[in-house]
Amino acid sequence: MSTSAVAHQPLSARGFALPPNTGKVVRAVVTYSILILFALAMIMPFVFAVANSFKELPDIAANPMRLTPGVRADGTPYSWTLQGYERALNTQQINFPRAIFNSFFIAITVTIMRVLFNSLAGYALARIRFPGRGFAFAALVGTLMVPGIVLLIPRYLILNQLGWIDTYWALLVPYFADAFGIFLMKQFFESIPREIEEAAEIDGASRFRMFFVIILPMAIPALTAMAIFAFQGTWNDFQGPLIALNLNRDLYTLPLALAFLRGVTGDAVQWDLMLAGSVITTLPMAVIFFIFQRFFIEGVSYTGVKG
Amino acid sequence: MKKSLRFLALAIALALIAVAVAPSAQAAQTVNLVLMGWSSSPSENERLQKIVDDWNAANPDIQVTLNQVPDYDTTLQKSLAGGEPPDVFYVDSFRFLDLVRAEALMPIGEKLTDIDDFYPALRNAFTANGQFYCPPKDFSTLALQINTEMFEAAGLSAPTTWEEMRAAAEKLTKDGVFGVVVPADFARWIAFLYGAGGSVTDDAFTKMTINSPEAEAAMEFYTGLYLDGFAKTPADLGVGWSGEAFGKGLVAMAFEGNWIEPYLKDQFPDLKHKAVELPAGPGGKATMAFTVCYAVPMKAKNPDAAIKFVNYLTGAEGMKAWTDLGLAMPTRASLREGWLELFPNLEPYLNGAEYARKWQFVPGFQAVLDKVNEQLSLVMAGNQTARGALAEIERVGNEVLASR
Amino acid sequence: MAVAAPSIGKRGGFQLSAKGQERAAGFTFILPALIIVVVFIFLPLFSAFLISFTNWNGLQPPFEAQGVGLRNYERIFGLDGTTVVRDEFFVAIKNTFYYTLGVVPTQTALALVLAFIVNQQFLRFRGFFRVAFYFPSITSSIVIATIFLWLFNRNGVINGVIGGVANFLGLQYSPVTWINDANGIIHNFLRLFGVTIRTAPAWMTETTILGQTIWQWISGPSVTMLAIMLLAIWTTTGTMMLIFLAALQDIPRQLYEAASVDGATRWQQFRLITVPMLRPTTFFVLTIGLIGCFQVFDQIYVISQGNPAGTTKTIAWIVFRNLRDSQAGLGAALAFVLFVIIAVFTVIQRRLVGKTVQQ
Repeated sequence: MSTSAVAHQPLSARGFALPPNTGKVVRAVVTYSILILFALAMIMPFVFAVANSFKELPDIAANPMRLTPGVRADGTPYSWTLQGYERALNTQQINFPRAIFNSFFIAITVTIMRVLFNSLAGYALARIRFPGRGFAFAALVGTLMVPGIVLLIPRYLILNQLGWIDTYWALLVPYFADAFGIFLMKQFFESIPREIEEAAEIDGASRFRMFFVIILPMAIPALTAMAIFAFQGTWNDFQGPLIALNLNRDLYTLPLALAFLRGVTGDAVQWDLMLAGSVITTLPMAVIFFIFQRFFIEGVSYTGVKG
Repeated sequence: MKKSLRFLALAIALALIAVAVAPSAQAAQTVNLVLMGWSSSPSENERLQKIVDDWNAANPDIQVTLNQVPDYDTTLQKSLAGGEPPDVFYVDSFRFLDLVRAEALMPIGEKLTDIDDFYPALRNAFTANGQFYCPPKDFSTLALQINTEMFEAAGLSAPTTWEEMRAAAEKLTKDGVFGVVVPADFARWIAFLYGAGGSVTDDAFTKMTINSPEAEAAMEFYTGLYLDGFAKTPADLGVGWSGEAFGKGLVAMAFEGNWIEPYLKDQFPDLKHKAVELPAGPGGKATMAFTVCYAVPMKAKNPDAAIKFVNYLTGAEGMKAWTDLGLAMPTRASLREGWLELFPNLEPYLNGAEYARKWQFVPGFQAVLDKVNEQLSLVMAGNQTARGALAEIERVGNEVLASR
Repeated sequence: MAVAAPSIGKRGGFQLSAKGQERAAGFTFILPALIIVVVFIFLPLFSAFLISFTNWNGLQPPFEAQGVGLRNYERIFGLDGTTVVRDEFFVAIKNTFYYTLGVVPTQTALALVLAFIVNQQFLRFRGFFRVAFYFPSITSSIVIATIFLWLFNRNGVINGVIGGVANFLGLQYSPVTWINDANGIIHNFLRLFGVTIRTAPAWMTETTILGQTIWQWISGPSVTMLAIMLLAIWTTTGTMMLIFLAALQDIPRQLYEAASVDGATRWQQFRLITVPMLRPTTFFVLTIGLIGCFQVFDQIYVISQGNPAGTTKTIAWIVFRNLRDSQAGLGAALAFVLFVIIAVFTVIQRRLVGKTVQQ
């Protein structure tokens, strides 16, 4: 495409003395083509999945490429259907609406608590001198490199000792702080000019007052970033709820419910059910994402700059 | 500051409410049991739920909750490690010895009604150290599926020996269709190994016995079908498993378990096919039994109630209610006739119960299974001889057995 | 890691009591997070470390297991003369290595290029593109793996799209069985030139190193692994692009203006301003990419379970499988070996990234 745009120009116009307009057009065409191609690659899988989740099972198998119902071998058309959704929501052993509530409740609570705990700890590591601080920080960073699966069983044993298995406690408390978040907050607090605190100290403010009244409000961008990650991570977590819950299916979160559905479908995967379950699992997160997209983008951008 | 504290208070309050709402201890006079299993097809899940509901209605003093979990192995493992296993749970014969060795299971076999009624091969799959631990809830065996339309067109009858099967495969390989589908999978080839009179290890799992002339004959027969061009693997045919290849009419024969029947009925309702027993090898008839039992943990809190419930599930009445679904087969010989009246076409699978071998190894044997699969593919690719493959499997297997 | 310990400013004029107060405040601030991290991260980690020296089967309470000293670690490296565990470990090393080698550079480079493009000043709808690129990242790995499993079906959308394009170009395309194809892509590539296991030189097919022949070592990722790699790239590129974009926008415009006044070409500006300014971000992106790749598990669990023919067995996957299959002690030991590998690579990478940019 780009070359044809160039070819229309008189010969003299090419080379180094390209008129500014042509250059811009070429650049714009190339730029937008690449971006649209990638945007399609990112979005189309979801579009296919959503469209097919509203189709009949044989139609999904026969015409996955069609975004609208296809036609049977005998010429009669397939129709739109909510069957996948009805089956998912009515699966006997799984209460999907309750799972939606659980996912929200857990993600929101964990997010609030994690923002609080991590920022307190991050601040202490960044600014307050106390014995063992260096070691605490090094150990914290080290845990990021440990493969999560190895913690699965030992963590279960601890939750079991606490008597928390099959309760909300086990889904909430272990996630109230995390190494990555503390690391992020420490980085941020180090970037705040020390003079601000010194001024407050002179005014006789206590550390606590200083933190909540002066420091924390300055940390809104970092807090947003962390809140986003906490929410996203908790919402999508699979292994955490898997070990925390034994018998209490009322506390299932959406990813667990989806994994359960896959078990239900057995050898011959029933894609209408699975795609509908996937859409149900993704939809609330997607809605939140579109409402708060600015914060998501800023949040992610934030980590890199500070990393 | 106030704002943050308010958030904190709110979060804690919410968490407290949530915990208060979570189910609390039940009344004391009734015993509450949990039955844990994996979730299978929707129809099976519903049937089991109904059986449990019926039990609960009839036994107000023993109330059972059915819990089917995703990722069953992990869930069972963590509950055993935590010392609080469910009251009754599924154990696959493949995992049975692991659990016995970990002293996780209570031997309840002797306390059940009429245990001689269980097929010996299946009882044997859950017997260790001379004790019958847990009753098999149902089972599946391998049989040969044949495409009757293709067989009739070629004027062939169902093969009963290896030679006949090979001849049929050769004759039916034409017009883009292959005689048979042979996955490079130990769980299928092993039936031929036994059919040739071979074995994998000695009975006590102390050393490998797989490097034998019988095993070599079995491997050469199985891979020979492929190397001579009468067979393809599911991957060659671009399908996920043998059942799909057979259903789509890409092959005339397939070795599969009875789980293929509902699949074919569902996905390929127009296919003309029937099951026959696996053709006999030089060592006689052989097939594999895949079976699952209802186990009660060693640390059971209410062993008597649990045993009573298991006894119901695997007793004539409970098992009939379960197996009348027509998916997995009854493990009690006394139910055979009644069941076959309902599902005459599954007789070849049920017949397998008489001579089936158990699918069971020792902890750590997974590495050997992987090695067999790998060597099978190498032989089928023409990059390894049957003899070389067996020597390699023997080496790895002996190492695993020695390191136990 | 990326950060030097902060130098605590000389804040003269503090009394002893103030120091005590400071300590108290420090402990109070860190206490809530500390309890959580100690109880739910350090404690499990420590017990896992202890478990790695036992023969725990994962089925009884762990204190009933027996200590076996370093035996699990010896088996991993074949130091006790056995080969089964060692061979599987090195297969996993090979698979994980190919996976990482394919994913990390690709996602980083793609993210960087996209960030440059989106950062162009004339661009409109920037918000739309950022949202579109980030969208896969908000989705649960279980959902993504489910959708991919469906897309990569033999009769699925991916084969449909490739077939459509091939058809349009007048080419033949026989659908690939993405989810069940154990052929290495390097082997497939060599086959185009007639090099197969039968025609490859004997030193390749007969020399065995750590349980695999040289020919097996150079297989490349299997086709199934390639599908999983595409999935990983697809999921993470958007996030990394946003991180790069933010870093690009953080570079003061004055730097470029000053440089062009000094007569620096665009290339010189790129080399002398952009590259050094992006260095910390690049390190960050590479590090999280590397750690993520070495620990790849969820996708394997949902899509392939280590199959076909063991070509998607990664280190994290065999950790899990051993934990599950009554060899929890060995699984824990494998996890700590993986931990050391990640730590070593992080350090090496830091050196390398530091160096190339200096020159």
